[in-house]
Amino acid sequence: MSVINTKKEAQDARIVGQRLVNQWLANLGTAHERGQPVAYVFVMGNAIEILRTFGFEMAFPEINSLQSGVRKSAPDFISKAEDFGFSPDVCSYVKADVGLMLSNMMHPSGVQMPKPDIAIASSLCNVYIKWAEIWERRFNTPAFVLDIPGKRFAAWKSTAGSPQHLSDARWVEGQFRDLIARCEQITGKKFDIDRLAEVEENVNEMIRLWIDILAFNQNRPAPYNSMLDGLTYMGVLNAWRGTVEGVEYMRLLHDEVAGKVARGEGRVPNERFRLIFSGTPCYINMRRMIELFESHGGVFAASDYLTYAAGGLDSAGLFYDTSRPLESLAEVTTLASQMGLSNHFFSHHMLAQQMNDFAADGIVYHGIKSCRTVATSMADNREYVTTKHGMPTLYIESDLIDPRYWSDAQIKNRVDAFFEVLEQRARLEGR
Amino acid sequence: MEYVAGIDIGSTQAKGIIMDENGALVGKAILDMETNMGTAAERVFERVLANANLSPGDIAFTVATGYGRYRVTFGDLQVTEISCHARGALAEFPNTRTVLDIGGQDTKAIRIGDSGEVTDFAMNDKCAAGTGRFLGAASFALETPLSDLGPLALKSTRPVKITTTCTVFAETEVIGHLAKGHLPEDVLMGMHHSIATRCASLVRRVGMAPEVTFSGGVSRNVAMVALLEEVLGAPLNVSSQSQFMGAIGAGLYALDNLKTGYRSQTAHAIDA
Repeated sequence: MSVINTKKEAQDARIVGQRLVNQWLANLGTAHERGQPVAYVFVMGNAIEILRTFGFEMAFPEINSLQSGVRKSAPDFISKAEDFGFSPDVCSYVKADVGLMLSNMMHPSGVQMPKPDIAIASSLCNVYIKWAEIWERRFNTPAFVLDIPGKRFAAWKSTAGSPQHLSDARWVEGQFRDLIARCEQITGKKFDIDRLAEVEENVNEMIRLWIDILAFNQNRPAPYNSMLDGLTYMGVLNAWRGTVEGVEYMRLLHDEVAGKVARGEGRVPNERFRLIFSGTPCYINMRRMIELFESHGGVFAASDYLTYAAGGLDSAGLFYDTSRPLESLAEVTTLASQMGLSNHFFSHHMLAQQMNDFAADGIVYHGIKSCRTVATSMADNREYVTTKHGMPTLYIESDLIDPRYWSDAQIKNRVDAFFEVLEQRARLEGR
Repeated sequence: MEYVAGIDIGSTQAKGIIMDENGALVGKAILDMETNMGTAAERVFERVLANANLSPGDIAFTVATGYGRYRVTFGDLQVTEISCHARGALAEFPNTRTVLDIGGQDTKAIRIGDSGEVTDFAMNDKCAAGTGRFLGAASFALETPLSDLGPLALKSTRPVKITTTCTVFAETEVIGHLAKGHLPEDVLMGMHHSIATRCASLVRRVGMAPEVTFSGGVSRNVAMVALLEEVLGAPLNVSSQSQFMGAIGAGLYALDNLKTGYRSQTAHAIDA
């Protein structure tokens, strides 16, 4: 089954990507009818590879929530959750999901979302666990929490194969074995290790291509905006991870972006400033936010979001060894999670590297009302890049999907002033 | 002789200045904002022209700043008030490296580099506490004109601690304190303290370096100046033209354009 339907699609991976996301959502709506069990998973720490071997179809409530933001249903969902009693301070993704539950699971994409047969949470986000508990209470869903060791301290590096790494990986592997037993119970199927190897092969290929795609933006001009086009690409990477269709999509995308690089085609016609985005996106007004930057010739060449929201797989520096699928899954997951999580904490060194690789002119930090955890590290991080590297930075705040936290005039003012700072600096440097 | 104009359309007041090609101020005007920013801009322009005894055709270049900068239809260029306040402050105080501007709804701390470039800035977010609006609430609750607040606050001997961070609820808190028998000057000084603390935090966030300049409408409040100097532990430059600092900065950007033909890349007139 080719992912490319038309000639037009063959020329634009973003259109294919959007269709694949819609198709994945539509598939979820019919999963139970087709006798397929459904797993609720999160973008960080999810063991999708194991779940696929049991035939689970993946639902990503985070993606459901961001889609409700993009499709403007979030205010209604959030309202329902707050009427029920959820505090304004609770993550808006959670509230949008609660609102969805209170709306008979009717999603703005037109799909009635299935209830989960299993939920996988992890220690990579402290809200995940509480969120999974909501499904436990409401749907009687068995929730499984993966405890994945994170980075111990700032300059600490767990290298593949080191005693520390292997010790952590064994801890995770033990949990994967528990999960497998759970899945066998729920589905009545026996675990198929060969199928796991197949899925991992697909993921390996997708990640190899993704690493290249991320690196293509080191070219000048950057062929895509990591915080607009990049989000669609990553959506497909997550939703179709480990599938044949996912591999085909990443190949199409890879070739398209490579072509743009070869032709010197940039996302922003007169690329003036190359920026890094740190934090989560603003799905309330995604296009508007990007427009505020692109209108000044600013492109987001890189972001830490594309790493941690894809589970850190691009920065693990390791691929699945399909001759030892389960052990390798644990080894890669352990490293990838640490790298992904490191984009929240101890991330200043990685950011400094990115600044260099992408020839960044500035960093934009986006703090959100929904997640104080992500915002906590930003002040120190900003201080570090400003004082140690002389990098101009901008801090703006809004939210993932709650429009009450988007203040257009205030944000525009700060963005405009930031570009004035960049221009003044450029003039002083003779650029 | 050529002339340029700087128009600052803020949330509370519209300011305009005209300067000649040598940078000398030949006219200024200020009026309270109205809902229609475009009309307010035109009115302040008319006033400043009258003040300078000039006509619109005499103005070679106009730079607009403030939140309403994109509504100044006769503006040639829009520059944010961050850059304009820095520029305006430097013109009067060439050794200034930190600017604190407290406006009607907006407070900004601006850090300036040795070549006069803005290196960092911080503004109040989502909340007008720590801005002129907080004093507006005090003025209303104490039934005292804004201009009298500073001298009255300085009479305080036992300032009351104001705990609310909300400008709207502050009125309730003020009334509550007065009902308990606290003196108006003590309550007022407490409110000044609240503002000073919030603003000092913004200054520290961008890194305070001497000299520090205090601009904006609130800098005309003597109690605010005294308190900020105490809280920051540094003397403050306060201009007699502090309300016009943004407009003056805008005028200087206009002058740049006249002299060098330089046009900022930020002059995209997106409809805000």
